[in-house]
Amino acid sequence: MRTRHIATIAALALVAAACGGGDDGSSASNGDDSSGTIFVSGSSTVEPISALNAEKFKTDNPNVSITVEGPGTGDGFKKFCAGESDVSDASRPIKDSEAEDCATNGVEYVELQVAVDGLSVVTSTANTAVSCLTFHDLYALVGPESIGFDKWADANDLAAELGGTSGPYPDANLVVTAPGEESGTYDTFVELVIEDLAEQRDQFPASRPDYQASANDNVIIEGISGSDTSLGWVGYAFYIENTDQVKALAVDDGQSGCVTPSAETIADGSYPLARPLYIYVNTTKAEEKAELASFVDFYLGDGLASVGETGYVELDDYSAVLDAWANR
Amino acid sequence: MATGTVDTTTVVRKALEGKRLNVGGLVFEWGMLLLLLSSLLVLVVLLGDIVSGAIPTFRARGFDFVTSGLSLNPETAGVSTAIVGSIAITAVVAVVAFPIGIGAAIYLEEYAPDNRWTRFVDTNIRNLAGVPSIVYGLLGLAIFVRLVDVVGLGGQTGGKNIFSAGLTLAVLVLPIIIITSAEAIRAVPNSIREAGVGVGATPWEVVRHHVLPSAAPGILTGTVLTLARAFGETAPLIVIGVATGFFGAAADATVLERATGPYTALPVVVFSWSRQSVGAFGDTLAPAAIVVLLFVLFVANAGAIILRNRYEKTW
Repeated sequence: MRTRHIATIAALALVAAACGGGDDGSSASNGDDSSGTIFVSGSSTVEPISALNAEKFKTDNPNVSITVEGPGTGDGFKKFCAGESDVSDASRPIKDSEAEDCATNGVEYVELQVAVDGLSVVTSTANTAVSCLTFHDLYALVGPESIGFDKWADANDLAAELGGTSGPYPDANLVVTAPGEESGTYDTFVELVIEDLAEQRDQFPASRPDYQASANDNVIIEGISGSDTSLGWVGYAFYIENTDQVKALAVDDGQSGCVTPSAETIADGSYPLARPLYIYVNTTKAEEKAELASFVDFYLGDGLASVGETGYVELDDYSAVLDAWANR
Repeated sequence: MATGTVDTTTVVRKALEGKRLNVGGLVFEWGMLLLLLSSLLVLVVLLGDIVSGAIPTFRARGFDFVTSGLSLNPETAGVSTAIVGSIAITAVVAVVAFPIGIGAAIYLEEYAPDNRWTRFVDTNIRNLAGVPSIVYGLLGLAIFVRLVDVVGLGGQTGGKNIFSAGLTLAVLVLPIIIITSAEAIRAVPNSIREAGVGVGATPWEVVRHHVLPSAAPGILTGTVLTLARAFGETAPLIVIGVATGFFGAAADATVLERATGPYTALPVVVFSWSRQSVGAFGDTLAPAAIVVLLFVLFVANAGAIILRNRYEKTW
């Protein structure tokens, strides 16, 4: 008697599980005519803006199926040029090799800049010794030749040799926390700050390998605020959300003097570590699919509010972008 | 009787120690207690941190947090999409892993001869149980995502849906299901089998009518706990393409379209919220999602304990 009871329970558990598997628990649908689908892939930096816009767009267009993912700019372009995705988020312009892929597969596209991000060089709020760093200083502190520099002062000789102006640095621990090499934020930093100097000095364009790397920007913020004499860099959105924990250092590219990152200096281009954020739209698909065209219309209209809401900076003037979209 | 034992122990110890204080013994006892407390302290601090972070969310949002879907807006973001996804994945795991795992355990314990080959298989199942979950994620990406696409369940995601996720996690928990089920079957006394065979039952009848029912509580407890493990897995899902951004099916999408579309799961939501720049996601929403996740896991574990106590047999 008892054993039968157990067998019944086991059977019921299996049946219940089986039903669950087929049903997915989602609410039943009515009507079966397929509506449009929009697939956005690409940069994880741009993903929050696109995701927020997708969400807003979906509120008014409930019959559109829309997916936003952020595997990275490179992976995004692979899908985009294979014709898999409709829109590709990008934290850098498309590379020649990627553009060739697109051409081979007959994918035509339009490049639309939707926002600007400013890489912010950050340190602890308790760090009062340093307030501005030149590219030379940054190269001396975190460039390829700075391996083993445990103290800020260790970089003095190199900085002097390069012509850095912020030294001499204090004899304090240098704790570097920054994005890992897989990140677009890392790539941009190396490209903007380190590459030219590394080339001049015949060094491989990369940062020093001996730093605390993380793919999670919030972990970087933790690391920066955890040491009084820390140094690192994050996207502007993460700096501006955590101004109580970290301080942004002004950056000097050797031409325009020390500039602190802010919405204004990033938007007008005076901050030297600003980088444009793009969406690439497949124009053939935008022609075929009305829902895709209206999604991009929304993105470049009311959707631009999402740029600020996700912590990025809007362009001063979108007329060139709107023209590019109108003349696609 | 219990008190009698204690009394005897105390009396004997007193007699042996006399009036001397057993310093070494006391130090050891207190040391062990300290170790226990320190491990508990870590747990308490962790839980306290999570719960204190989650309270503002539940206070402001109440049950609305559990019923709202994915959103990039911290005011409206909730975990319903993730709960549905997690439950669907776990259901696929149950459907796939239970029959295979329990069947394999029955074969190993009841039919397989005790030779070198069986021992080799047995050892390797135990080794598989210790393989890091990320490895199963790579396997899932290479095999199951494609398999799901090939059999026509790929949908718009090309196989990156709850089916490939469920298959991957099923393989992940399979060794644990086999081990716990085999233990439960082994615990059934041989006299039960001998009695069955003695009255002329075939080996299958012995298994079906005597061994399995007797082992069922142990098997169920083990499998419920492994389902909880599958429910909490993150790493393999991220490898096989769980959605981290935003997705929403069309309002008129069919059940199949929804099931084969993008998905997310509770632990993945915790992971992606903790990476958001908007502070509220990491500070209050992620802890609230963790509380929901822990609640589900506690309920599952409590269910396992109740099942065990209700049907447990002593021989």
